[in-house]
Order: sequence, then structure tokens, then C-alpha cells
Amino acid sequence: MTLILLTAIFTLAPPGEVRAYDTPSDGGKAIIIEWQLSQDDASLTGYEIYRSEDGVDFQKVGFLGIGRTSYEDETEDDKTYFYKVAAVSDTARALSEPSPQVMSSPQWLNRTKINIFIAMFLFGGFILYFIYHARKGKELFIRKIAGLQAVDDAVGRATEMGKPILYSLGLGFVEDIATIASLNILSEVAKKCAKYDTQLICPNNRPIVYTVAREIVKEAYTEVGRPDAFDPDSVYFLTDSQFAYAAGVSGIMVREKPATNFFIGYFYAESLILAETGASTGAIQIAGTDSLSQLPFFITACDYTLIGEELYAASAYISREPLLLGAIKGEDWGKLIIGTILIAASILGLLTKFPILGLFR
Amino acid sequence: MKFIERLTTIDRRIIYLVLAIVVLIPLISRSPERVRVMPPVEKLYNAVDTIPKDKVLIIDFGYAPQDMPELEPMGFALLRHAFEKRIKVLALCLYVQPLGLAQKALTEVTEEFNSVAQTNADSIIYGRDYVFLGWQPPPLIPMLGMGISITNVYPGDYYGNKTDTLPLMKYVKNYNDVALLVSLSAGSIPRSWVAYAQNRFGVAVAAGVTAVSAADFYQYYQTGQFTGLMTGMKGAAEYEELVETRLNIKKSRKASEALPSLTYGHLVMIAFIIIGNIGYFVQRKRRQK
Amino acid sequence: MKRTFPLFLVFIFGILGIIPFIIPHPIVQNLDESIRNDILKILVAFALVLGLGSLLKVHMDKIKRKRENWQYSWILIISFLVSSIIGLFGGVAGAGPLPTSIGSFHFDIQTLYENIFMPLGATMFALLAFYMASASYRAFRARSFEATLLLITAFIIMIGIIPLGDKISPHLPSFAQWIMTVPNVAGQRGILLGVALGIIATSLKIILGIERSWLGGGE
Repeated sequence: MTLILLTAIFTLAPPGEVRAYDTPSDGGKAIIIEWQLSQDDASLTGYEIYRSEDGVDFQKVGFLGIGRTSYEDETEDDKTYFYKVAAVSDTARALSEPSPQVMSSPQWLNRTKINIFIAMFLFGGFILYFIYHARKGKELFIRKIAGLQAVDDAVGRATEMGKPILYSLGLGFVEDIATIASLNILSEVAKKCAKYDTQLICPNNRPIVYTVAREIVKEAYTEVGRPDAFDPDSVYFLTDSQFAYAAGVSGIMVREKPATNFFIGYFYAESLILAETGASTGAIQIAGTDSLSQLPFFITACDYTLIGEELYAASAYISREPLLLGAIKGEDWGKLIIGTILIAASILGLLTKFPILGLFR
Repeated sequence: MKFIERLTTIDRRIIYLVLAIVVLIPLISRSPERVRVMPPVEKLYNAVDTIPKDKVLIIDFGYAPQDMPELEPMGFALLRHAFEKRIKVLALCLYVQPLGLAQKALTEVTEEFNSVAQTNADSIIYGRDYVFLGWQPPPLIPMLGMGISITNVYPGDYYGNKTDTLPLMKYVKNYNDVALLVSLSAGSIPRSWVAYAQNRFGVAVAAGVTAVSAADFYQYYQTGQFTGLMTGMKGAAEYEELVETRLNIKKSRKASEALPSLTYGHLVMIAFIIIGNIGYFVQRKRRQK
Repeated sequence: MKRTFPLFLVFIFGILGIIPFIIPHPIVQNLDESIRNDILKILVAFALVLGLGSLLKVHMDKIKRKRENWQYSWILIISFLVSSIIGLFGGVAGAGPLPTSIGSFHFDIQTLYENIFMPLGATMFALLAFYMASASYRAFRARSFEATLLLITAFIIMIGIIPLGDKISPHLPSFAQWIMTVPNVAGQRGILLGVALGIIATSLKIILGIERSWLGGGE
């Protein structure tokens, strides 16, 4: 192998300054090789990458097209390697000098993500600070959210009419924040249902969400002192298929004619099917989602819609627990900082458009 | 007067019936409608058009049966474009449902070319001109894994061949050899391609999405994270238009044929909204008196 | 104890979820993967059994007590049993021990999926077009200045994205495109920023045990 390479005709300029180093911020098993383009780059077919463990016997490990100056090689950790890069044309091949020896190893810190981590800490700090303040009994203002104020009326209406309440948690998984927020609201709605003895129907799309929802409703009934009134069949698993779920819930709405429908959680294309069927049965509808593309549908077809973070604020809003309200205040500060940075960056960006100012030359 | 009051309370079933009729009729007559091509689609076309000889185009077929009307014509138009210009294609799926549909698009477009091919060089040959990598769950594995080695993520292709024995895969190692990745999806997958394949490995990503989800994706196009963007049936029809006018390929144009349905559907909806508003204003005027 | 133990678990697994984001070392990454892939899969499998049990129980009860529309429950139970038996014993494309064809008539799970499930799903999806028409007819009223603005924008987009828009004026499609790429994106980003911050705040509240209504409330 080496012999063939050595006897190749050296009419091409080889790639220069071959450098090999351990891929930074990774889990190991990779080395990056970089070189400077051969002076004959335009007439080449490409570059071949050669690897050796002893610096003598080089094996080809990869090929790249012209104009390319870096390559990531798969390696074994804690083993030394040498690299050479060859400029290759149809008739000739010019090998570079070998790189210094290099070794790959896994890292304990991903440096490319440190900025995100700092931002997260900063933001988390804000939230904890305001929670701490709230604990000390400082009064916090929270604006009115119509959709959440309507929850009481919605349950009351169902009670008066003697009709059930339908609660759909959407298609989200249990780890989706929208689903978690929805479970929080479900807990409050279930307490009200228990108090007024209103029937609750909660068909589920995800098995895990179902098990959690069932426990939450049961706990809610227990908490208001009506464990006997809890109907274990009020919360059930329907199907995990999107449109079968839409069909199933639509069927329930048409047959049982609930007085109030809640669609709160993460929804996809079935949102309008549910909301429009519900509207046709004359129910009051409260929706809430952070799925941006489904918001317009809910806003059109429902009476109240919780948009994005209003949904997350719901449990703080309904329960009025000061600790939760503190977190909302922290969020607002985070938003203020991000907003300021965005505006400042936009102004700077705009200023660079005027060459007369000579910024960032 | 009663008539005007009725304008605000037209029965749903009448709306459904009118809509069904105007959507159905153009589908029977099947005459393609011409469209003017907008920049997001033209950019995608140009990006595919300028793919160099030593690089490939990856198409992620991500549409299930319910998304076919909008996304399948995009897949066909992209394949026709690539095969006509002899651009090598890697096709893959991230979910199991689209597999059959991807296979259908690949075989049908290949057949279109091969039925008129004279020589071996004219033909579209599996393994040389395109490879169908198949399905490798979960989505994150191919998205990240192909940055290191495509044949490692897909040791076998859809048909059970060993990928490293296929001529095309001899020089296509990882994202470094990929000029563009087009994701055809009704969900959020194009966003994941940006987050994992582009941010980490620098692959150029473009997308074809349904009209309903289009609003979610324009921001990625605006920032340049998407090289190009096709949205809904109109986007597909624009690509079909480019394929026909610039490459002179005259084949069935499903999206362009369905466009009249879309046009009349939109007009009917606008008409009903206007009717509802007329009734609303008349009622309001009367109440004010 | 009944409350503390779940909160403790949430704290531990919450932190375990954040760490792999910043530590690329294989020890951490492998642990993360086994939690995500193996443990979660087992949990889901258990929950699925519970879920299906609940579904069947609700419908059995309905039939037993002859509640309203109890006949439909038979459809559910029969389809459930038929598809389960074929799916479990017939194999995906009829390769299992259970024969899934009579002559040229196939009823393996793939065939059922393609010929029953897919068209049903596509039909439900197609309903959207009709519902969009009826919902917009009912809700799009020029009640206020904002509503009128919304209405006009909707008209521009609807006409701008069909070929007719180009015939009315070549600027109309470009204007529709501008609405999508500038004001739409601005609004979306605003909501997205709020959502992202809300997600961090909610996660933090749950990990630290401040938000516990998901436990069903109470102390």
C-alpha cells in the first residue's frame, strides 16, 4: 500500500498544513482532520483521507469532493492516530505530510451549550427569587384571563342544565408541558364537578396520560370530601390514534350533549373537528393550547381560548397560590430581558446598514 | 326582511353541500391550472438544480395517506427534477406509514424515465442513481447518525440490499456528501431536521409542508434555515410548473389539476363569510334604529 | 411519605433529564438513553394494558346496564377483539400462525390497516375543509376594528394563495407572502418566546416540587 503511494507521480500540489484534533464537546470516538486546499484544487477529483496507528502504514478511510477542507473520522478512544490527506486527480495522487499524533476521548462538558446553560440558570434564578419573595407574603398582581374566569361559570352552567362536562387532554404525551398544565386545570375542574355533583367525561388518547388523569380526578374528589361521588369510569382511555380519537370524542359530544367542553393540551389537525362538532351541539367551549398552528381554529370555534403561556399560568391563576404566582412574575422578567436584548440587537443590526457610521469595520 | 336575517343563520349542511359540489366538479374535469412561481419555491428549485455531481439530494418522505393530496405531488416533482438532471437521490422515511407511499413515488417516476430511455446511461438505475434507505426508528437516530456515517445508520436498504455494496453509497459517506435535504412532512419533522442535522452538521435543509401548518414554517425560511419552502397544494403546483416550463417534462400534474378545487373552495368560503357579514350588519343597523 | 416519595422521584429524574444536555460523556448519554428508551417503553406498555382494560370495562358496563346507545359498545368490543386476535396471531403481513386469507381474500393486519383504518383517517381529515367553512362563516364577523383587520387579512391570504390572486394583481400573491413571512412570523415568535419561557418555568416548578396539583392536590 505504502509502496504504491510513494511511487505515485508527484505532479500535483499536496494539501497543506494537515491538522488533526479530537472533536470538541462530544462523547468521544471522533477526530476532526483539517487541511488547506491543494493549489491544484480546481483540477482535482477530490481528497482522500489516510489514517495510521503507527505513523508508517496508512490506510484510506474517506474521500471528499473538491473545495472541502475538513473531515470527521470515526475512531476508537484512547488510541493514537496519524493522518495524511491526498489530493487526487484521475492520474495522480499527492500526499501531504502526516499530522502530529492525535487521540480521541469523551468530554465531560459540552462547551457549545454553555451559553444556553447560563441563560437557563439566570432565568431559573429570577423565578426562584420571585417565588422566595412571594413566600414572604408580598402581594402580586396578575391580569384577568377571561378563559380561566369562565371555568366557574362553565361548571355552573352544566350543573344547572343537568348535563355532563367533557374534558379532553389532547394528543400530547405526559411529558409535554401543555399536557401537564392541562392536568393541573383538570384537577381544579374535577374539584368543582365534585362539589356541584356534575358528571365529568374525560376520554384519553395516551395510556400514561389516562392513568395520571384518573388519579388526579380521584384525588380531587377526595379532597373536597366526596370520594364516594367519584365514578371510576368517568376517566377512560379511548384510542391512541389521532383521527379515531377525533371521531370518538365527536361521537360522545353528539350523543351525550355536554353543556361544557374543555379542549386543553396539545392538539394537532383534530382541533377543529372537535371544536366545530362541539359548537354544533351548543356547548360552551374553553380551549387552551401552545400548538401555534391550531390556535386560530380554537379561537374561531370556541368561546374562550387560552393562548400559549396563559395555559401554563392556569394553575397559578385558579389556585391563587402565591408560590406559583411568583413563578409567573419571574417569567415576565425573563421576557423583559429577552425583549431588551432582541431590540438592542435589532438596533445594532440596523445601524450596521449605514456604512457612514463605520460600525464593526 | 326575514331573508336578510336568515343570512346569519344558514344551516351548516347547506354550506357543506355547496363546498362539496365546488370541490368535486373540477376534480372530474382535470385541467391543470397555471401558477406564478413564488420565491420560496423557486429558491428550492434552484438549490436542487445546482447540486454538484459529487453530492446527493436526500428526500425524507414523511407523508401519510391523509397528507397525500398536498405532499405527494411535491415528491413526484422533486424526483422528476432530480432524475432529469441526473442528480443522485437518497430517499428515506422516519415513520413506518409513509414507506409504501415513498416506494410508490420512486417506482412510478423511475418508470416514467425508463420507459423512454434508449441506453443504459439514459435509464434511472437503482443503486447507481438513487437509493431507498427505508425506515430506521426513532427519527433522531438517522438525523444524528447520518452525520457520521449513512451506511452505519442504514446497514441495509428498503429492499434488503447491503448499502455498502451499492455503487452510489461508495462515495456518499455522511452529510458532507449531501448538498440538500428536503423534508416532506405534515408534522414538525422539518423543524427537527434543522435542530439536529443542520445545527450540528451544517446540512442545507428545505421543506414541503401542508397549507395548514405553513404558518409555522415561514420563520425558518425567513431566517435562511430553510433553503426553500413549498407550502400546500399551491407550493406543489409551483414546483410542477417549474419542472414543466424549465425542464420541459410534460407529465400528470396532480397538484395543478386540483388547484381549481382549491380556488373555488376558497371563493365559496369568502362568499359565505361576506354573506354572513351582510346579514350581521343589516341586523345591527336595524337594532340601532 | 405518599407525597414526598413521588416528589423526590420527580426531582431526581428531572435533574437526570437536564444533565445529558450539557455532558456528552458516554456514561451519562448511555444512562439517559436507557431511561428514555427502555424504562419508558416498559412504563408505556403497562399503561397501555391499564388503558385498554378501562376502555373495555366502560363498554362492558354500558352493555350490562343497557345505558343509552349501548348497542354501539358491541361494535367497539367486537372490532377490538378481531383486530387484536389478527394482530397478535396473524403477523404483520400474514406471516403468523393464524391463517389470514381465504383464497384471494386477505384480512391480515396490514390489509385491515390499509383498507379500513387509512380511509377512515383520511375521511376525518377531509372533514376539516367543511368545518373550516362552517366555522369561518359563523365566527368571522367584522364586529370590531381588530376583527375587521383579521377578516381583510384572511381574504388577502385566501385569494393570494390561489392562481386567481395573480390574475387580479401580480402584487397580491407577493403581498400575501409578505404577510406570511413578516407579520405572521413576528406574532409567532412572540408567542413562541413566551411558550419557551413558560416551559422552563413550569418544568422548574415541577422539578422543585412547587407545582404539585398534578399529584391531585392536597397535602
